Amino acid sequence: MNDSSESTLAATKPLDAVSGTKRIQPVLPVFRQSRLHRLADRWSHLLFLACSLLVVALIGGILFFLATRGLAAFFPLAGNTGRTLSFSEVFLTTDWAPSSDRFGILPFVAGSLAVTGLALLVAAPTGILTGVFIAKLAPPWMRTLMRQVMDLLVGIPSVVYGIFGLTVILPLVSRTWLTNAPASGFAISAMILSVMIVPTIVSLATDAFESLPPSLDEGSQALGSSRWQAIWHVLMPAAKPRLLTATVLGLGRAIGEAMAVQMVIGNNPQWIALMRESTDRAPFLRALFTPAATLTTELVQELPNTAAGSPWNNVLFAMGLLLYLLTMVLILTTRRLGRGQEA
Amino acid sequence: MLSPNTPETKPIKLSVKDLAFCYGEKRVLDGLTLDIHAERVTAIIGPSGCGKSTFLKCFNRIHEVSSAVKVTGDMLIDGVDIYRGGIDVVDLRRRVGMVFQKPNPFPKSIYENVAFGPRLFGVNDRASLDLLVEDALRKAALWDEVKDRLKESATGMSGGQQQRLCIARALAVNPEVLLMDEPCSALDPIATSKIEELILELKKTLTIVIVTHNMQQAARVSEYTAFFWLGKLVEMGLTERIFTTPRERMTEDYITGRFG
Repeated sequence: MNDSSESTLAATKPLDAVSGTKRIQPVLPVFRQSRLHRLADRWSHLLFLACSLLVVALIGGILFFLATRGLAAFFPLAGNTGRTLSFSEVFLTTDWAPSSDRFGILPFVAGSLAVTGLALLVAAPTGILTGVFIAKLAPPWMRTLMRQVMDLLVGIPSVVYGIFGLTVILPLVSRTWLTNAPASGFAISAMILSVMIVPTIVSLATDAFESLPPSLDEGSQALGSSRWQAIWHVLMPAAKPRLLTATVLGLGRAIGEAMAVQMVIGNNPQWIALMRESTDRAPFLRALFTPAATLTTELVQELPNTAAGSPWNNVLFAMGLLLYLLTMVLILTTRRLGRGQEA
Repeated sequence: MLSPNTPETKPIKLSVKDLAFCYGEKRVLDGLTLDIHAERVTAIIGPSGCGKSTFLKCFNRIHEVSSAVKVTGDMLIDGVDIYRGGIDVVDLRRRVGMVFQKPNPFPKSIYENVAFGPRLFGVNDRASLDLLVEDALRKAALWDEVKDRLKESATGMSGGQQQRLCIARALAVNPEVLLMDEPCSALDPIATSKIEELILELKKTLTIVIVTHNMQQAARVSEYTAFFWLGKLVEMGLTERIFTTPRERMTEDYITGRFG
């Protein structure tokens, strides 16, 4: 003990000595940027600006292209070589038979919303709870492992999920669940989709919980809450804005997914009509397994087969535009919501 | 303030015997033995990393939340070892409240922050909660400032108010001991003096253990002071004696600001 106090005292001595003497001004070299540096600075600034402008231009360009082609379905624009359709016949009818000049896209809109909603219903709670587990409950080695697995899963191409659904899930369900029904439709699409988006939600939810100050957790448990009560009553509300963002990003991926869904959904544009005709006693269950279609699957399915400028082709572009706007609105509203929560 | 000539009348509330604390392979606390009297303020001082906060966290076992640690030795509250089997940690934490270094209000309303503890213990009817919340906020000298905005978010308050809210939150479950881990380190001088006044008021009914980096604060609020260095207790005694005639050279050096 004595030793250390001696040494600390000794360490303070030179400081006292210095304060008494005259301070020596060091001679500083003149720091100046070379011309080359300044030029490089300016050019790199321009380069960054150009890159970001390019991105903005691309997004704007896509919107412009979609809008001109899509709106051509309703207005006699240059891109329209057939008849102009009315908004109501496109957006409010359920009959899609382009070869017979009937263009109701309601089945696709409803299909997209249904499949996305169902997928989220499964994926959001699963993803968020997994996030809690990884961030707060798992032992360190498992945490690292799970994070790596989730990052890997995010990167799997959607067509692989589609193949899995088509060759494994579909036969499985048709053999065990409804033997006399064609096994395809919303239930299986949503299942595949939720498996696809869970990793995204898990990753972001884990970040959300890890970014919370540990003092919240400690504070709650210091008051006598159990670990679960702390998670449920304190951490969840605190992480809410970011959990919302996680869900929306999952939603964005789900609503825009074409490939995996197209492989298992059955691609039946007339699914609403089919449902109407059916006299099933469990219509909801039947609806889950009816072959159906969504905005994206229909686009993939039909766009290559239509003539540019025809109403059919234009309506497909209008569907693309709708999808674009739908995603945009969803992201913007949740962002606004999230901001309101944080304040 | 208690002087060396007057005998201590308060009973021993917390008793620590040969406490050691290991964080993995690292021994953070070693051979600590000391007693803490009821209705007194005991200040723990010492340089950063000397184990003060860790020591504090042993009293409510909150360190168990974040990491695997090993604690040996005895730690008694009213003569009962809190590390023995059969001790209900939830009940322990109700009896031993804690206020943290940085104010950590929950992202809820002011009212809900204070009602959080009572709700955990099954108080759910509005009338009882209202009473408990008001009582706790009054004890924390915060009632007059917030009585008209109990529904507002706690995160919108000033730092000093947040810290007093955290004290109110801890008081709402009627603890016997209050642990304070540098409660003023994130606060300005005015907020600090309010907390100090509060401590002097609260010690009439509570046993308070406070970790502080501020020597003046220790001198102002505490009856007893313990000086820690590198996980060991160097010296403990009446604050007045420690600050006037420390027995150890190291204590003197630390108090007079020669190291730390």
